[in-house]
Amino acid sequence: MDSRAVARISLFAAMIAVLGLLPTFQLPVAGGVPITAQTLGVMLAGIVLGPRRGALAVLLLLFVVALGAPLLAGGRGGLGVFFAPSAGFLLGWVPGAFVTGVVMQRLAKAPVVAAALMAAIAGGILVVYGCGIVGLVIVAHMGALQAMLATAVFLPGDLMKAVAAAFLAKAAEQAYPAALGHRT
Amino acid sequence: MGFIDISRSKRSPGVQRNKSVEQFRAISSFGLAFDRVHLSRGGRRIFDALSLDLREQRVGLVGDNGSGKSTLLRLANGLLLPERGEVIVNGRCTKQARRELHADVGFVFQNPDHQIIFPTVGEEIAFGLIERGETAAVARRGAEDLLARQGCAGWIDRAIHELSEGQKQLVCILAILATEPTILLLDEPFSSLDLPTRLSLSARLARLPQQIVMASHDLDLLHDFDRVIWLENGQVKADGMPSEVLPDYRAHASAQGASMLESGAA
Amino acid sequence: MMGGYLSRTTWLHRLPAGLKLLMVAGMSVALLPVQDWRLLALWLAVVTGIYGTLGRDAVRRLCVLKPIVPLLVIIGGLQGLSTQWKDGASVVLRLLLMVLVADLVTMTTTMSALMDAVEPLFRLLRPLGVNSRKITLSVALVLRFIPVLLANWRAREEAWRARSRRRVPLRIVVLFLIETLRLADQVAEALDARGYGRAGRQP
Repeated sequence: MDSRAVARISLFAAMIAVLGLLPTFQLPVAGGVPITAQTLGVMLAGIVLGPRRGALAVLLLLFVVALGAPLLAGGRGGLGVFFAPSAGFLLGWVPGAFVTGVVMQRLAKAPVVAAALMAAIAGGILVVYGCGIVGLVIVAHMGALQAMLATAVFLPGDLMKAVAAAFLAKAAEQAYPAALGHRT
Repeated sequence: MGFIDISRSKRSPGVQRNKSVEQFRAISSFGLAFDRVHLSRGGRRIFDALSLDLREQRVGLVGDNGSGKSTLLRLANGLLLPERGEVIVNGRCTKQARRELHADVGFVFQNPDHQIIFPTVGEEIAFGLIERGETAAVARRGAEDLLARQGCAGWIDRAIHELSEGQKQLVCILAILATEPTILLLDEPFSSLDLPTRLSLSARLARLPQQIVMASHDLDLLHDFDRVIWLENGQVKADGMPSEVLPDYRAHASAQGASMLESGAA
Repeated sequence: MMGGYLSRTTWLHRLPAGLKLLMVAGMSVALLPVQDWRLLALWLAVVTGIYGTLGRDAVRRLCVLKPIVPLLVIIGGLQGLSTQWKDGASVVLRLLLMVLVADLVTMTTTMSALMDAVEPLFRLLRPLGVNSRKITLSVALVLRFIPVLLANWRAREEAWRARSRRRVPLRIVVLFLIETLRLADQVAEALDARGYGRAGRQP
């Protein structure tokens, strides 16, 4: 793995951490809808860096969090977060970023916005929620249906993040074509 | 534009401590006034009952890093609000007028890359006009006019990334001039530019009718300002004509640098 | 969970990192079959007591639990409704216990000690392509550049707020993202200049 890859992965991980430190910002839809940014960063990891590097960026972030750095939204961190009920979602970020990247690559011929939206939903929502729900079932002894209902409340927000990721991917590609270079 | 031309008077500005807010309001329908401002950030007390009345056309701010220059500028356009006391800009208190200040008080930051948000010059300059409610066509025309007046006709569709650092900073300045502010605040605007560019942009600023308050480490740029304020630890250490204040600050900087060298601080 | 290292040296600080990690792993496995809520409550009391021995800062860290309390209430409630309240209690207690135990490690172990403890594991995974020195470098880069990226973001946000009263738009996020990628390229250049991966010798 060359220096460019290490640098991109590390800095993207840092960026996801920074996105967790920010207050909400706005979606250019219906007068502006406020959303939080960290899971958006996870979706972008796969979209911008591709499946392998995107997943590594997220894995690196989780590793640094496990070591004790308070990098998750809300200033959370440390080993304890991996034993909390939401641990499944957290760990699900890794395959989530991977799947996001895979979908993005598979849809290389499609327009960026559509591809990024599908990718963000497939990886950032389906995979992450899947892992999160499994986590709740195992750790919190919830029934699968109960777990799904409990997490459904976050779905609208995450769908909006997927839309944001799609717009961001499009804008990034216009401004810096090499941003999504792994697609070609 | 009806600016009070205090700049040519030899009156020594000085610090005014005992004026009440009403008196400030009466005399400061133009300009910046700080009325017993208190501000802390991150647990540190930055300003303690700071009072300043800035009505000169060209005001310079000097001081070491951490002296409060940047904070002072940010108080002046409402990016920061005082904990106690008031900051009055053109007769309006920043606490109330905060949301409208941005069109009337322009702020130029150090790094143009952090300010420019559009890919072309024209869009960047038109942005302020569109924010104000103009249509895209009117805004574009306004941008074209401004560029022409500044001798940059033909820049309207140039790509930002092709411009030099100095040209980008010029675009930042023009973008803010587009809404015809009455006050320009500049926080070390030329730090990353070469000398010829600094001199050129300085000359451009000198021709502007706005009141300008500029923080700068480059003391030469302030030599023909109307007033220079030396801030240290949030307090006014010196305040007067550049010919008085700058040599004192230079001497301080030399001494400071020497002691830093000896003590191994830098 | 409110990640943070306690800088006072306590008895727990002196235990080797590897041992503490093994204890956490051991506990999580050992607790899985435990159903009796009273046993779990006892363990919870013990662990809380341990927090007490670490000093007042440690006890204050207990309020770290605040974010997960609502979720725990829901979990306990659901369990209690479907089965006996005791099952709900034991699930909640086990969760609390594990979070607190894991956080004991975070509070009493430096990041570098943890990295050193985990290194043998990475070395074992070498055949799979895991390079522990690259990981160390990556962790350092992450920690180094978070403040840099944060400052970049704050500068952009500030410049926006000085020009508009609307909330920060997505456009600014795009620029931030691209700046980050460009910065990464510069960092790569700097790494190369310092001999990273030169002459085929991978660090």
